[in-house]
Amino acid sequence: MQTAKRDIAVSMTGISKRFGPVRALENANLEIARGSILGLIGQNGAGKSTIIKVLAGIIKPDSGTILINGETVSSLTPASVEKLGVHFIHQDRLLVPTATVGEAVFLGHEIGLGPFVSRRAMDRGAADLLKHFFGMELPAGTLVKDLTTAQQKVVQITRALAQKASVLVLDEPTAALVKREVDSLFDVLRRLRDDGIAVVFISHYMQEIEKLCDRVTVMRNGTDVGTVDPRQTPIDEIISMMIAREVGEMFPKRSVTLGAPVLEVSNLRLGGSFENIGFNVRAGEIVGLTGLLGSGAKEVVQCLFGLKTADGGSIKVEGRELALSTPVKAVRDGIAMLPEDRRAHGVALGLSVRENISLASLRRYSRSGIVSRGSENQAVDGLVKELSIKTPHRDALVRELSGGNQQKVAIAKWLSCQSRVYVLDEPTVAIDIGAKVEIYNLLNRLAGEGAAILLLSSDLLELVGVCDRVLVVYRGRLAASFSGPSMNSDALLAASSGARSGADGVAA
Amino acid sequence: MSVSANDNAARPSLRGFLAKYSVLIAFAAIVIFFSVASPTFLTPANLFNVLVNNVVMLAIVALGLTIVISSGGIDLSVGVSVDMASMVFVMLLAAGYSGVTGVAGGLGAALIVGVLNAILITRLNISPFLATLGVLFIGQSTQQLATSGGQPIYLTSGYAADQFNAIARTALFGVPTPVIVLIVLAFAVHVLLHRSVFGRYVQAMGAQPGVAWYSGIRVSRELSMVHVLCALLAGATGILLSATVKSYVPLSGNAFLLDAIGATFIGTTLSRERKPSVIGTLLGVLLLAIVKNGLLLVGWNFYWQQVGIGVLVFLVLAASFGLRRAAH
Repeated sequence: MQTAKRDIAVSMTGISKRFGPVRALENANLEIARGSILGLIGQNGAGKSTIIKVLAGIIKPDSGTILINGETVSSLTPASVEKLGVHFIHQDRLLVPTATVGEAVFLGHEIGLGPFVSRRAMDRGAADLLKHFFGMELPAGTLVKDLTTAQQKVVQITRALAQKASVLVLDEPTAALVKREVDSLFDVLRRLRDDGIAVVFISHYMQEIEKLCDRVTVMRNGTDVGTVDPRQTPIDEIISMMIAREVGEMFPKRSVTLGAPVLEVSNLRLGGSFENIGFNVRAGEIVGLTGLLGSGAKEVVQCLFGLKTADGGSIKVEGRELALSTPVKAVRDGIAMLPEDRRAHGVALGLSVRENISLASLRRYSRSGIVSRGSENQAVDGLVKELSIKTPHRDALVRELSGGNQQKVAIAKWLSCQSRVYVLDEPTVAIDIGAKVEIYNLLNRLAGEGAAILLLSSDLLELVGVCDRVLVVYRGRLAASFSGPSMNSDALLAASSGARSGADGVAA
Repeated sequence: MSVSANDNAARPSLRGFLAKYSVLIAFAAIVIFFSVASPTFLTPANLFNVLVNNVVMLAIVALGLTIVISSGGIDLSVGVSVDMASMVFVMLLAAGYSGVTGVAGGLGAALIVGVLNAILITRLNISPFLATLGVLFIGQSTQQLATSGGQPIYLTSGYAADQFNAIARTALFGVPTPVIVLIVLAFAVHVLLHRSVFGRYVQAMGAQPGVAWYSGIRVSRELSMVHVLCALLAGATGILLSATVKSYVPLSGNAFLLDAIGATFIGTTLSRERKPSVIGTLLGVLLLAIVKNGLLLVGWNFYWQQVGIGVLVFLVLAASFGLRRAAH
C-alpha cells in the first residue's frame, strides 16, 4: 500500500463496454499492485467478470486504456496477455481429467525434444514445482481426475507459476472447496503475495475477502464504486457500496391470501451438498431461495424435481409424500421446473411454439395415443394469448423468439400441465428488463391462482421485490429466513455471505 | 429475428424455393434424363420391377431408420435385424414349420436384436453409434457360426414356402402385394411419427434430449421403443426378402444399411429443420432406386453406379443446405 505507485502491475482506466443496449462497463477502473491481494466484489451483473474478461483479452473494450508493467497495451489476446505474465484461474475451466499432473502443469509449454514430449520430464518438473511452491508431494504420474478440487486449483496455479506469472487472477476459487481446503488455498495465496506476485481474488464470500485481501475494489452497475481496506471497513459498509438503490416499480405489487401448504419439505438431506433443509410453500405464496454458488441451494431445487435423489427427508405435495427419483415422477406429481439453462433444458429451440407448449401435457390433447391437433391448437392459442407470447404463429420455431418469450413458452408448458408447484431456477437470467417485469407479473398471477412457487435466484433485488419470504442457504444449511420489513438485499447478502444470521432466525 | 423470419416466409426467394424442393427437382430431372437416355426406362414393366425389387425392401428398412434418426440416434445393426429374421424364418420353414410360426420366429429374432440395442443404449448408456456397431459385429459372427461359415439356406418347394413366394409375387388390383405392404407400413409409421404422442416424444428427444427429460418424458422407455420398432421393421424386410428369393443368404442385409441412411438424409432436405420424415424418406428411396436402375439401363457398370449415387447424394444435400444457408 505504502509503495503502491511504484508497484502497480496492471492499471486499467476508463474502461467502457456495451453489448447492444446493455452497458456492461462504464468508465471502470482497476489497479492491481504487486505483492498484495486485491479483492474484487459486486453483485451479479455489476461488471466484475466483464472487466476480468477485458483484461484476459476475451472481450475487446469500446474505450479505455490498459497498462501492464507500466506499458500501454492495445489489442490484448488471451495468448499475448499470458506472455505478459498475467494468468487467470477461471471458476469452471477445469483441467483435462485424464492428463497427468505433469501434463496439466506444462499444457501448452510441453517439455521434450522436437515433436516428442517427455511425460517423465514433465511429471518430474511438476513435482519439483509443487514441492517448491506449496510443499505438496504427489506420486509421479498422478492423474488430474484423482485430485481433489483444491488440489486441482493448486495444479492450475502451478501451471501459471511455471510460466513465470507475475499477476494471478482467481475467479471464485473457493466455490467448490470445503473449509480446510479454503484455508490451505489462502496460505498458498499469501505465500505468493509475499513473493511479490499480484493476486486478484474474486469472491462472493465477505468473510473470505476480509480474511485474505489487503484491498478490495467494489463494483456496481459496470463501474468501480470504491477501493477500501477490508480490515478497517465494516462489512455492512462494503455491502451497501455493492447494492444499488432499490427499484420499486420493477416489481408489481400484489395482495393475495395464502392458502394451505402445498409443498412441504422436511429434514431434506443430500450428502456433500446440504442437510436438515425444511420449509413449506403455501398456495399463493412465492418463496425465494438463495445462496452462493456451492452453498447447496441449487441442489435443494434439483432434489425437488428429481434431478438428484435426496439421501433423506421428505417432500410432500398437498399432503402426499413423494418419492422423487426422476423428473418423470416430479412432473406426474404436479411439480413444474423452469431450469436455469433454458436452451439445454427449458425449451427445444428446433421445435415449434406449439410442440414445446404441449410437450409435458400431450396426454391431455390426445386420444388413444394420437394427438388431436384441434384441442392442442386451441390450448396453445389460449396460452399464447394469455401469456402474450410474441410469436408470428403457433408453428414458428422457438429459436426465432426472444429470450423473454422463450421463457414464457417454458412457463406455458407447465400451465398446460396444470402443475401445482412451480420451481424456478434463475428464471430471469439473460433476459431484458421488460421481459423480466412480464415474468414477475406472470409469477404473481400464478400465485394468485393458488400455485405454490419456489424461486431460486441470486438476484437479491428480484427476491426482495417478488417474494413473500426468502430463505437463505449458507454452506449447506438454512441460515436465515426473511419476510416483511426485515427482508432487504443488505440482509440477504449478509446472510448468504455468512456475515450474520437473519432477523427471523432459521425457518421451521 | 422473428421479423426477418416473417419476411422470408412472406416472400420466398428463388433460392429458398430451390433449397426446399431440391429433392423433387432432382427427382424430376433424373426421371426426364433417363426417359430420354433409355427407351426401356419409362415402360410399366421396368417401373414395376424397380418398385418391387429396388424400392419396397429398402423403404421398409429406411422407415425404421427414419424413426431412429428422428430420435437423434442411429441404428447400424439394421442389416443384422434383416438377416436374423430372414435366417430364423427360412430355418423354421425348412424344418417344416407353418408360415405363421416362421413369421413369428423371424420377427422374434429381430425383436431380440432391437431389445439388445435398447438395453445397451438406455441401460448401459452406450452411444447409439457404438452400441449398434457392436451388435452389427456380433450379429455377423452369429450368422457365420450358425451357417457353417456363411452357407446360404435354400427353401426347396414346400407348402408354406411356395405360398409366401406366391404372395410376394402377386398383385392386388394391379398393385404388387409387397407395394401394398409398404404403403400400409409407411402410413402406420407416418401416423406414429408425425401424429402420435410417441412420435412427438421422439421428435423432442431428437431436437433437445435435455428438454425431453426435463418435461417428464420417460426417455429410456421411449428410446427403447424406437430401437425395437426399427429392428421389427428391418425384420419384416428380412421375411419379405426370404419369401421373394426363397432363400437366406448370410450377411445380405448389410446392403440396405448405407442406402437406407442415405435415403433418410436425402429426405431431411424437405424440412427446414432437417428433420427426417416418412414422405422425405420415401422420396429418398425412390430417388436412389431410380438412379440405380437408370444407370444400369444406360449401360454403366456396377462400380460406376456407386460413384453415380455418391455424387447424387452429395449434390442433393449440398444444393439443399447450401442454398438454404444462402437464403437465410
